[in-house]
Amino acid sequence: MKYLIGSSILITTVAANLAFAADVYGPYPITLKGYDGDATNSVSYSGQVGRQLLHNSLKKAISSGAAMNVTKAYFNGSDSDLTLLDPVSSADFKVDVTNINDVSKTNLSGKAYKGTINGWPGAMTGKEVLESMIERAAQTENGYDAIHGYDYAQLVSKFAMGAVFYHQACDNYLDEKLEADNKPNNKPYKDGAYYTGKEHSWDEGFGYWGAAAHGATLSARVNYDIAKKKDMASADANGDGVVNLKSEMNYAHAYYASAYDKGGVTDYYNTITEAFIDGRQIITDANGDALSDSARTDLKAKARVICSNWEKVIAESVFKYAGSVYGDLEKLKANPGDEKLMRAHAKHWGELKGFALSLHTSGQNLGELGTRIDRLIGLGPVVNGSAVTGVDGGGNYFEMGDADADKYMVHMLKLQKLMEDEFGVTAKNNDKLAGISNISEILGAGDSAEND
Amino acid sequence: MSEIIDIFQSDILGQFLNPRRRLFWGYLLSAIIIALLWLNLVKKINLRRAFNTIFDPSVLLSKSSRADMICFLINRVFLIICRPVLITQIFIATAIYHFLHFQSYIPIGLFETTPVFISTILFTSCFFLIDDFSRFALHYALHRIPALWEFHKFHHSAETLTPLTVTRTHPVEAILFTLRSAIIQGSVIAIFLFLFGQQLSLFTILGVNIFVVLFHGLGSNLRHSHISVSYPEAIEKFIMSPAQHHLHHSIQKEHFDKNFGVALSIWDKMAGSFQYSSKQELTFGIGSETLEYTRTIAHMYMLPFKKVFNMRKKIFYQK
Repeated sequence: MKYLIGSSILITTVAANLAFAADVYGPYPITLKGYDGDATNSVSYSGQVGRQLLHNSLKKAISSGAAMNVTKAYFNGSDSDLTLLDPVSSADFKVDVTNINDVSKTNLSGKAYKGTINGWPGAMTGKEVLESMIERAAQTENGYDAIHGYDYAQLVSKFAMGAVFYHQACDNYLDEKLEADNKPNNKPYKDGAYYTGKEHSWDEGFGYWGAAAHGATLSARVNYDIAKKKDMASADANGDGVVNLKSEMNYAHAYYASAYDKGGVTDYYNTITEAFIDGRQIITDANGDALSDSARTDLKAKARVICSNWEKVIAESVFKYAGSVYGDLEKLKANPGDEKLMRAHAKHWGELKGFALSLHTSGQNLGELGTRIDRLIGLGPVVNGSAVTGVDGGGNYFEMGDADADKYMVHMLKLQKLMEDEFGVTAKNNDKLAGISNISEILGAGDSAEND
Repeated sequence: MSEIIDIFQSDILGQFLNPRRRLFWGYLLSAIIIALLWLNLVKKINLRRAFNTIFDPSVLLSKSSRADMICFLINRVFLIICRPVLITQIFIATAIYHFLHFQSYIPIGLFETTPVFISTILFTSCFFLIDDFSRFALHYALHRIPALWEFHKFHHSAETLTPLTVTRTHPVEAILFTLRSAIIQGSVIAIFLFLFGQQLSLFTILGVNIFVVLFHGLGSNLRHSHISVSYPEAIEKFIMSPAQHHLHHSIQKEHFDKNFGVALSIWDKMAGSFQYSSKQELTFGIGSETLEYTRTIAHMYMLPFKKVFNMRKKIFYQK
C-alpha cells in the first residue's frame, strides 16, 4: 500500500512538472543539422525584448519631457548606451538591465509599418506617423498638447505597439516567414546562427507578443501584477533574485491581454501564449528538417489563433478607451474647461487612437470597416468645441470650430458596438451600452405570442 | 434538420422552464394551488372534487383546447423563423439612447446622483405601469379597430379557456405583441438610462422582473381557465381578477369590449370599459361566428385575411 501511495505521488509530481514544462516557452534543444557549437537552447528573441524596452523607455521619455535627441534615440536606436527608463529596479522589483543595448542594439524605426495610415493627419506611413508624433511631442510640455488634446506619450506608445510589434509578428514572422521557401527549417536563420529559420521566426513573433516565458503557468491577475511591477516573486521564475527582462517580464499587448483576462470572461493571454508554445513544439519536433506541408498547415493554424486573438486584444482596448472617452466627455459637459478632466480626456483619446490605428497594421486590409473606425474617431478629440480635421501644407493642424461633443459621444457608442459586432470583443471594459443589454436581459427577449 | 428540431424542442421547453414566460411550470403550479384553495376555502368544495374540477378533461381536452395546443406549436415555429427579422428592444433602446444625445433640453445623467434604491424603485414601477398601459392600449385597439378585431377573433374563438389559450394568437397579433414589447421596453430603458446613468437596475426575483413574478406567481394563468377566481370589488377596481377577464371572453352582449386590462383595471376605469366580475355562468367564444372561424385550423389562420380583404374601406373606422 505504501509503495502504491508513493508511486502515485511520484507519478502525480512528474505529471505536474510535465504540464508545467509544456506551458513554458523554452528552453528548446538545438536541432540545426551540423551545428557543433556550445549552445544548448535554440530560443532567441533578444532583439524583440530590446524593442520592448525601447518602447517602454520611449513612452517614459516623452511623458517626462525629454529632449528630442533623447526620444529619437529610443526610436532610432543609438550606438551609445541607452539607459533603460522602464522598468527600472526598485526595492520591491529588481530587474537585470540598466542599458538597453546590453540586451540588444536595435531600434523601433526600422521595423515600423511602412503602409499608409489614413486615420492620422498628413497621409503618412506608419513609421512617419510615429516620427512626426515624436517630433511634435518635443514641442510640448511632457508630451501633452493641450490645444489639440493630443497626449503624445500615449499616442506614440499605443501606436508603436501596433505598428511595430503586432505588425512585425502578424504581417511578417507569422505570415510570409511561415512559407516553405522563406527561412526554411533545414537551414540556419542566418549564417552562423545556432537556430533554424523557422525556430527563430517563431521566436521573434513570441518576443513581439511580449509575454513572460512562464506566463501561461500564472493567473491573469499575477501576469497583470508582474507587468505593473508589483509581483517580483511570481516574475522571478528561476529564483535568482532579479527579474530577467529577457524572459520573466510581461510587455505591451500581452500586458493588456492579462488586464482583460483578469475580468474572468476572456483568456487571450493563455490562448495566444499557448499557441506560441504549441507552434514552437511543432517546429522543434521537425528536428532540423524542413517542415512538412502538414506541419506548416498546423503551424499556420496556430498563427491564425495568435493573430486573431491578438487583434481582439487591440479591439478590446479600442472598446475600453471609447468608453473612457465617452465618460470623460460626459464629465466635461458637467464641468466645462476642467483642466484635470481635459488632461484625462486627452490621455484616453490618445490610447484610443493609438490602438485604433494599430488595427490597420496587420497586413489585412480592413476595408470599409477600417474607414468607419477612422471616421468615428476622427483626427482629434473634441477640445472646447473644436477638433483637428487635418494638416496644412506647412504642417500645421487645422481645426473644425463646431465639433459637437454630443455627436462624438454617440460615435463612441457606435465604436463600441462596432468592436463587438465586427471583432467579437467580450471583455468589454467600460461598456457604455451595458445598461441596455443588462436590463434587456432581465426583461427577457421580446418575441411574444401571448395574448393578454 | 436535426438542428432545427433541437431549436424547436428547446424553444418549446423554454416556454415551460423560463420564469420570464407565463407558462413557466412554477406559475402553472401556483395557479393550481390558488385554484385549489379558492375552490376549497371559498367555494367549499372538498379537495378531491376541487382537484377533479381543475383537471376536468371536458375542458382541458375539449376541441377548443386541442386547437390551442396545435396553434401553440404552429406559432412557436412562426416565431422561431421570424425572430431574426423582428426588431429587438436593444435595437430600439440603442437608437433612442443615441437620439437623446442630440437633444439639448434634458442633460445626460440629470438624475445620476439619485440613490440606486430610489432609481430602482422608480424604474421598476414606471416600467410596470407603462408596460401594463401599453398592453391595455394594444388590446383596446385589437377590439376597436375592425381589421385588427378580425385577427383578434382568433383568440376569442376559444370556447374553453386553459392556460395554453394565452398562446392562441394569430401570427399578425404575435408580431404586434412583439413590436409593442420591443418599443415599450426599448424606450423606457433608453430614457431611464439616459437620465439615471449606468447604475440603473430593477428589482428582480431569481433574475426576473419582480412584477412579472408577482403577476404570474399570483395566478395570471387563471385568467385563461375555467376557475373563476374573483376579488372583492375594492380590489377589482384596481387589479384585474381572473373572473373579470373571463367576462371579457363572454359572448353576452353586455360583456362585449369590457375589461381590456392585464394586471391593472384602472385603465378600463379611465376608458369606461370597466366591469366587476360576474357570478353568472359564462359562455366563451365569438357567438355565431365561432363555428365559421374554428372549422379547421387553416380557417383560423386564413379567414382573418379574407375578412379584412372583403372589408376594404371599413378597415380602420367601423367595427
